[in-house]
Amino acid sequence: MINSSHWVQLYSVQARLKFLNLHVYTVFMLVIQDLVKKYGDFTAVDHLSIALQPGEIFGLLGPNGAGKTSTIATIVSLEEPTSGSVKVFGFEVADSPKKVKSLLGYVPQEIVNHGYFSVEEILKFHSGYFGRLNNKKQIHFLLERLGLMPHKDKKVKHLSGGMKRRLLIAKALVHKPKLLLLDEPTAGVDIELRNSLWEFVRELRDSGVTILLTTHYLEEAEALCDRVGILHQGRLQKVGPTKELIQDLTFRRVQIKTNLSAEDLKKVKGEYSLMGSTLNFKIPSEESLGALLAKTGLPLEAILDISIQEGSLEEAFLNILGRA
Amino acid sequence: MKQKPSSDNFSHLRWNPFLSLLWREIRRYLKVVFQTVMTPLVNSALYLLIFGVSLGSSIQLQSGIPYLAFLIPGLVMMACLNNAFQNASSSIVSGKFSGDVEDWKVVPLSPSQIVWALSFGGLIRGLMVAALTFLVGQVFMKVEIGEYLGIHSPMTLLFFLMIGGLAFAKIGLIAAFYAKTFDQMSAIGAFVITPLIFLGGVFFSLENLSEFWQNVSLYNPMLYFINGVRYAVLGQTDVPLVKSIVVSCLSLVAFHAAAYYSVKNGRFQRW
Ligand SMILES: Nc1ncnc2c1ncn2[C@@H]1O[C@H](COP(=O)(O)OP(=O)(O)O)[C@@H](O)[C@H]1O
Ligand SMILES: [Mg+2]
Repeated sequence: MINSSHWVQLYSVQARLKFLNLHVYTVFMLVIQDLVKKYGDFTAVDHLSIALQPGEIFGLLGPNGAGKTSTIATIVSLEEPTSGSVKVFGFEVADSPKKVKSLLGYVPQEIVNHGYFSVEEILKFHSGYFGRLNNKKQIHFLLERLGLMPHKDKKVKHLSGGMKRRLLIAKALVHKPKLLLLDEPTAGVDIELRNSLWEFVRELRDSGVTILLTTHYLEEAEALCDRVGILHQGRLQKVGPTKELIQDLTFRRVQIKTNLSAEDLKKVKGEYSLMGSTLNFKIPSEESLGALLAKTGLPLEAILDISIQEGSLEEAFLNILGRA
Repeated sequence: MKQKPSSDNFSHLRWNPFLSLLWREIRRYLKVVFQTVMTPLVNSALYLLIFGVSLGSSIQLQSGIPYLAFLIPGLVMMACLNNAFQNASSSIVSGKFSGDVEDWKVVPLSPSQIVWALSFGGLIRGLMVAALTFLVGQVFMKVEIGEYLGIHSPMTLLFFLMIGGLAFAKIGLIAAFYAKTFDQMSAIGAFVITPLIFLGGVFFSLENLSEFWQNVSLYNPMLYFINGVRYAVLGQTDVPLVKSIVVSCLSLVAFHAAAYYSVKNGRFQRW
């Protein structure tokens, strides 16, 4: 039997672990286990497993065709998993579709056009689908917050691309979901709007919403996500806290122009490629220039010029995919 | 530790999503009320003019009822069926095109709720156009025959209009989920629905057909819908009332089952 003092102990263990920056959660917002999604013979998602902790932004990162949208489609019941399990808040999607759907907000990748209705009407109907018939307060909050208030009586076809995207986000939030799924939320959005959407997503996270977003922009993942999983050809290649992943995977390029002869160049230690009398190094991003120079044993007077190029995330990404 | 939400949090999902979708359906055709309600009226008026008035004077029915009076209940039911079908199918087809129906799969609307919301949405439009058609028919009656057409049994009339409207909205839904393009959708209308309605006895009485065609017509469920309405208005019909009621109800059940299946297994993805 577990009595209350055991729970107290458990809590204190949890608290201590938290203090050590090790979070232990008993309920995951979203648990995907061994998910497989096939279209005919083609496998779009291949034994994917991830678990989202409450209140985090998790980024599913991958190039076009990686299987991001297919994964999201199984969470929102647009596609049935070929095998595996998807649980939201402990409810299996296939077993309790209504409950799961009522807890989810979903922003599709493609813009929806809604022929007949104005922005405000669309939000009212959408709110009604979630059982909330009188939801003016939340609807007006979202219209205001997303800058759609001046456009609330316009039909969707008269909105700009950015406004349409904001409408999709407002729709996904009318019922105050606990879990928000954003499929490429800033694809085709200009920089200013993108930044303000990022800001809003962070705000949502801070108010307790758990967020799964997909993106093929590394920059977006870096700016927003607490953790990322890298998806390629349906398989999860790597998963971890964003910062660590970036550190582990990015390189700096250091170019050292020397006045050394071919003979002397041969004596330089380390891994590099040669272009004339210029040495090209690739070093982990946390390694310092001093350490590199010390390692090579290059005499200072032999160095004519040094240029450093920070490795791009793009490159890191390609690294992982290349290795996969 | 987080708690799972308790199940009583979900009671608002019982009726509200259905009511919302139904209201959306009704709002949708009210927005374009001229096309959705007035246009079919023009059709009915033309039929009344051409068949009821100009050709009708040369048609003799054995029952002795003026052809115009015979035609009106048929046109009323045709208006109801056509519009119920149109409404459900064009709502889904345009929704598939815009990506709207994808929403229905993602929000907590169950397949039954979707089917019933579209059925009632279609029915209400069908009833509106049917009522207006009846009014226009009355004008023709007054002008041509000099008296209005009475309704023999209003409850029976409402019953058949409701069963027929619901059934045809469901057929519209099935067709729209099945169709993969706009062209396929209009082909279903032209090759299946219109012939079924026309051959269901809108314009003619079974007694005017040869025995062979009479037997063929008996397999057309529309015959029972239309004759049910004709009985309700005129008090006489080619088909026994009980048979009309039984066949209509059975077709409604069958169409509902098929519609439920279409929504449950149909594709909601965009075109
Ligand atoms: N309905 C479908 N039928 C067949 N293949 C599909 C379908 N949807 C997606 N795919 C394929 O599955 C793969 C993954 O697609 P998707 O999940 O959309 O990737 P992403 O969102 O990461 O770009 C792609 O190769 C795509 O062509
Ligand atoms: Mg995608």
